Amino acid sequence: MTDAPLAQDAVVRGSVYRDPGLFQRELERIWYRVWVYVGHESEVPKPGDFVRRQIGLQPVIMVRGNDDKVRVFYNRCRHRANLVCFAERGVAKSIVCPYHGWTYANTGELVAPTFDDGYDYDLEKERFGLTPLPRQDSYRGLVFASVAAEGQSLAEHLGGVTEFLDLFMDLSPEGEIAVDAGEQKVVYRGNWKYMPENSMEGDYHGPFIHGVAFDLYAKRTGFDVTALATDEVPDVIRSLPGGHMVEDYRGAPMDPPKRQPSAARLEYIAKLKARHGEAKAAAMLSTMAPLLYVFPNLMYVITHLRVVQPVSVDRTHSYYFPVMLKGAPAEINEARLSDHEFMFGSAGFVSPDDVEIMERNQVGMQARGDDRLYIGRGMHRERSMPDGGRSGMTRDETHLRGFWRHYVSLMEDGE
Amino acid sequence: MSEQAAVEAFLFREARLMDEMDYSGWLALWDKDGVYQVPIGAGGEPGKVSIVNDDYPRIEQRVARLKSGSVLAVEGARGAMRRVVSNIEILSHREDKCEVGSNFILGVARTAEQQLWIGRSVHALRRAGEDFRIARKTVFLINSERELPLLQFII
Ligand code: FES
Ligand SMILES: [Fe+2]
Repeated sequence: MTDAPLAQDAVVRGSVYRDPGLFQRELERIWYRVWVYVGHESEVPKPGDFVRRQIGLQPVIMVRGNDDKVRVFYNRCRHRANLVCFAERGVAKSIVCPYHGWTYANTGELVAPTFDDGYDYDLEKERFGLTPLPRQDSYRGLVFASVAAEGQSLAEHLGGVTEFLDLFMDLSPEGEIAVDAGEQKVVYRGNWKYMPENSMEGDYHGPFIHGVAFDLYAKRTGFDVTALATDEVPDVIRSLPGGHMVEDYRGAPMDPPKRQPSAARLEYIAKLKARHGEAKAAAMLSTMAPLLYVFPNLMYVITHLRVVQPVSVDRTHSYYFPVMLKGAPAEINEARLSDHEFMFGSAGFVSPDDVEIMERNQVGMQARGDDRLYIGRGMHRERSMPDGGRSGMTRDETHLRGFWRHYVSLMEDGE
Repeated sequence: MSEQAAVEAFLFREARLMDEMDYSGWLALWDKDGVYQVPIGAGGEPGKVSIVNDDYPRIEQRVARLKSGSVLAVEGARGAMRRVVSNIEILSHREDKCEVGSNFILGVARTAEQQLWIGRSVHALRRAGEDFRIARKTVFLINSERELPLLQFII
């Protein structure tokens, strides 16, 4: 470790993006310690449905049991540690390890070891079920798990970010989202931390790297997203305790598109009003739902849940899961999916510019000189918020400073 | 020229336009209500996200963006590229339309590292005099379900 802190106030050290030793330390201090997002319950709607995921570098599965409960297990056979579940998603009445055929119920219990008459002791089946993650909890269908047996509760970890999770989930006239439209997968040659940093600061970099895309989008939909950042508005940028980041647009209303709303749009508006009342529905519809980052791996960005998955210090996977709104007219969800495909994924018109930037960032970071990054925008004017976080104006870097404060607190405590 | 030879000549021309990043030339091959798709997996399931799902206006937008010269991702993904199109079969035939399957291997020289893209294309072609127009093109990448690098050119 260097003597200087990894990050402090407006300064971040380049080594946090570059040093394989720090990457290992992140696994232990962050990924194997805090709550990590695994998946949404709607991805496994029926008993037996499962998806493969990772927490840090550890493979896990999220499976809905015959008892309808969603559980997260290590993806590791209790016999000799083979990957018990190879498919990325599927349905399993029981989970059979391919190596020697040990069979587990989709609720985790060992049903049948094989040739168990050959074990010279009484193989107690109850002791050989799939290992659940030590802690698992959920918030409105978002399933989180932690590799650490002890620590904050999920409610404590999420803290004030639930207010913003609610805001986008409430876009559903039933108050429920469906993560059932599949996922796009992207790989980039850069550190994982670029993803949350870049994803939550589109107002600053947007005009520089997304100009062409924003233009095309406005022509197609009538929505001018650049209007969100024309004037700098107080409290748009939020850092929350726990390292979470938010772009809260409630103070930055957008002009509605000039064209006449479709029948589906009118029906959708009526449904939101029926659920939330005139005032709240009007406020929700007047601007974009917040963009948010739940430390360390979950984001909500305009159309989708985004998961960042570190591979190594300079290689990262990113998953884009479009979010559908339950109870919304089909046309509204179709338009969301179409907007998503316009913006995101490998061949999208917006996020590839970000990914390109992240790859170039990793290269730029190899040049030392003064090996400090500067994230000081708006430092002189940031405000403390009642939720314990801090806020800044539209293009400030207040939230990045909050992210790094939390990062440092995890990486540097109790050496 | 036999139908097979005409179809092959058309696909080879399309490949050359894509390789040489002649996006206006490529756009001119399309029907005005064409659909261009790169699904994830087998595709065809409604309500599932794709890698590319363009109606004609969006194909035009894609081309406009690729040609604009001021898009970072396009600049970054840009590299000399050549593809081989092969295994061309006319799968079905109806009036002035035919469906054609083909495979491709595309190499892109990007930075020091050469990228390889492999897949199968299914074209719905419509006769237009001596020539064809693309009514629909669906590209099945063999790694569509894996983590992909940026795809900021035409396949
Ligand atoms: S490792 Fe799973 S049955 Fe042997
Ligand atoms: Fe961006």
